[in-house]
Amino acid sequence: MATDQTSEARLYTEGPEGLRSEEMILNMGPQHPSTHGVLRLVLTLEGETVVHCTPVIGYLHRGIEKILENRPYMGGIRYMDNSDYLSPMLNETAYAGAVEQLMGIEPPRRAQYIRLLCNELQRIASHLVAIGTYGLDLGAFTPILYTFRDREGIMDMFEALGGSRFNVNYLRVGGVLHDFPAGWLQQCEQWLDRFERMGLPELEELITGNEIFDARTQGVGYIDPRQAVAYGLTGPILRASGVSFDLRVDRPYMAYREIPVNVQTRQEGDAFARYRVRMNEMYESVRLCRVVLDKLPGGAISSRTPIALRPPRGETYFALESSKGEQGIYLISDGSEYPYRAKIRGPSFVNLQILPELLRGYKMADVVAILGSIDVVLGEVDR
Amino acid sequence: MDLAPRLGTPAEQPSLLAFDRAHLAELVDDLSQRLPEIVGHPVPIQRMGGGAVGIEVPAESLPDVARFLRDGLGFDMLTSVSGVDMLDHVDSIYHLRALGRNWLLQIRVKLPADKPEVPSLVGLWSSANWLEREEFDLVGITYTGHPDLRRIMLDDEFQGHPLLKSFRSTPTVVHDPATTQVPPDQAIAGEQQRRVERVVGKRLGQGQEERLHPGTPTFGNMAIFQQTGQGVEPDETVSRPGEMGTGS
Repeated sequence: MATDQTSEARLYTEGPEGLRSEEMILNMGPQHPSTHGVLRLVLTLEGETVVHCTPVIGYLHRGIEKILENRPYMGGIRYMDNSDYLSPMLNETAYAGAVEQLMGIEPPRRAQYIRLLCNELQRIASHLVAIGTYGLDLGAFTPILYTFRDREGIMDMFEALGGSRFNVNYLRVGGVLHDFPAGWLQQCEQWLDRFERMGLPELEELITGNEIFDARTQGVGYIDPRQAVAYGLTGPILRASGVSFDLRVDRPYMAYREIPVNVQTRQEGDAFARYRVRMNEMYESVRLCRVVLDKLPGGAISSRTPIALRPPRGETYFALESSKGEQGIYLISDGSEYPYRAKIRGPSFVNLQILPELLRGYKMADVVAILGSIDVVLGEVDR
Repeated sequence: MDLAPRLGTPAEQPSLLAFDRAHLAELVDDLSQRLPEIVGHPVPIQRMGGGAVGIEVPAESLPDVARFLRDGLGFDMLTSVSGVDMLDHVDSIYHLRALGRNWLLQIRVKLPADKPEVPSLVGLWSSANWLEREEFDLVGITYTGHPDLRRIMLDDEFQGHPLLKSFRSTPTVVHDPATTQVPPDQAIAGEQQRRVERVVGKRLGQGQEERLHPGTPTFGNMAIFQQTGQGVEPDETVSRPGEMGTGS
């Protein structure tokens, strides 16, 4: 901290009764359990009230955009897993969809339905982590055990599909890697049944009616709808402020053109509304998964694409609704096997920007309650 | 570099949504009527994949165009800002959304490669703050008028901008030879690596001869230290048991 005259004068302010109060600068993170990764917040506190907050990011920067430029199109799919490591399937779909849009190819219907099923399962898994860790931030230890138990079922299914729990590497340009292994659909159906019968009601019982949870979240971290749009927020945060914007409905891609989605919105705009939107989206995702299991068409799982993909020269922007918001890929091809430029528009990165605005004037204890309700993944913030 | 197709006729971008044509005609009409007034010359408007519309404006008229887009046409969300090194120039690319009318617009601003400067849009959309900082960090575009233009992903002391095509991915750092580290531009592993690595065993007191106490046992190496000031190769100084002893 600087010790020259001006900053001394700034730090000590004379109160009304001659009491001197001092602003304190507190470093939260980068190694802090409640920052959901390596996020560092430089908080300026006056007593217990947050006056100013400066997020410092970049501790997890791996240069994924540069890596993608140095990999063939198919090879880049695997690196998209590491961007938002809690929803790899959605990232892969975004990248594969961008390449397909650039090449002008359409995956077969069965592949689109498989993608939708994987995307919705991944959305449930991501929301489960968001809600479980949010409970942990607020001092409730039990919910995370239940959510991770349920999420484990999804991870097992992904392992059976792609061979890996996190870096699934399951999508391909023009389709998916494998068809379902034997018994996978029954396993999925059983999981959905169990989740709807046990998992979701248990979460509702544990969290929704909880007095402490209500007191910590209701009216905390209010975001005005206009402010939310100006800050480019997307996903559950935007919908919790009453703006009905969901790319699955507004710009339907792949199988969402055939399967309509009920957009979940809330009007309150506080942390509790964000939690509620995530819960409702899980119900909606379960419904969508059942629709896919019902209507799953036959046929090929992948269109015939050349081994060496050479999209025509040009550019495209493809965006889909990830679990945290709009996951966009801006892709430029120069006609070679490598992308000329692949820009990842991550929802977490854009959503985190509003944090200083939200924290101003709240107490120190509300910092984690607000940060957790934004649900950022630092792998994608830093890329 | 340009993105014009090299062979044959330009391929027609497939419209993925049927309602796009009528839906976007309105936007294209509005843009083609108003943009030449603001910019001062005709503006190229093109339809792109995924139902987006692309325009290209010069850097000096970007704030006016952006203000018209936000207040006149209802583009209320700045979704992403991308910087692209096109070798002979640098592009700053903006993606805007109009939530009310479900439009997606791409603005391309061409900037000179030696001095890429473009007016900042933070005053119009708050989301431009970090998005522009990121491109400043990784591509090196200066957004004039930005309130807090610092590096965001990389260290403040970092040299260069990684997403430029001229950036060397492997660091040009001269390594101290007395380490086990392999130069990072040699992609080798396993047995090969072991041969390249130059392992210099550190012996007692190496490099700090003047601080050695006269009574410290150095097993006969003290003279070599004092002559050369360097460590000696491991092979020459492996002391075999027979030759070791002063006593037995």
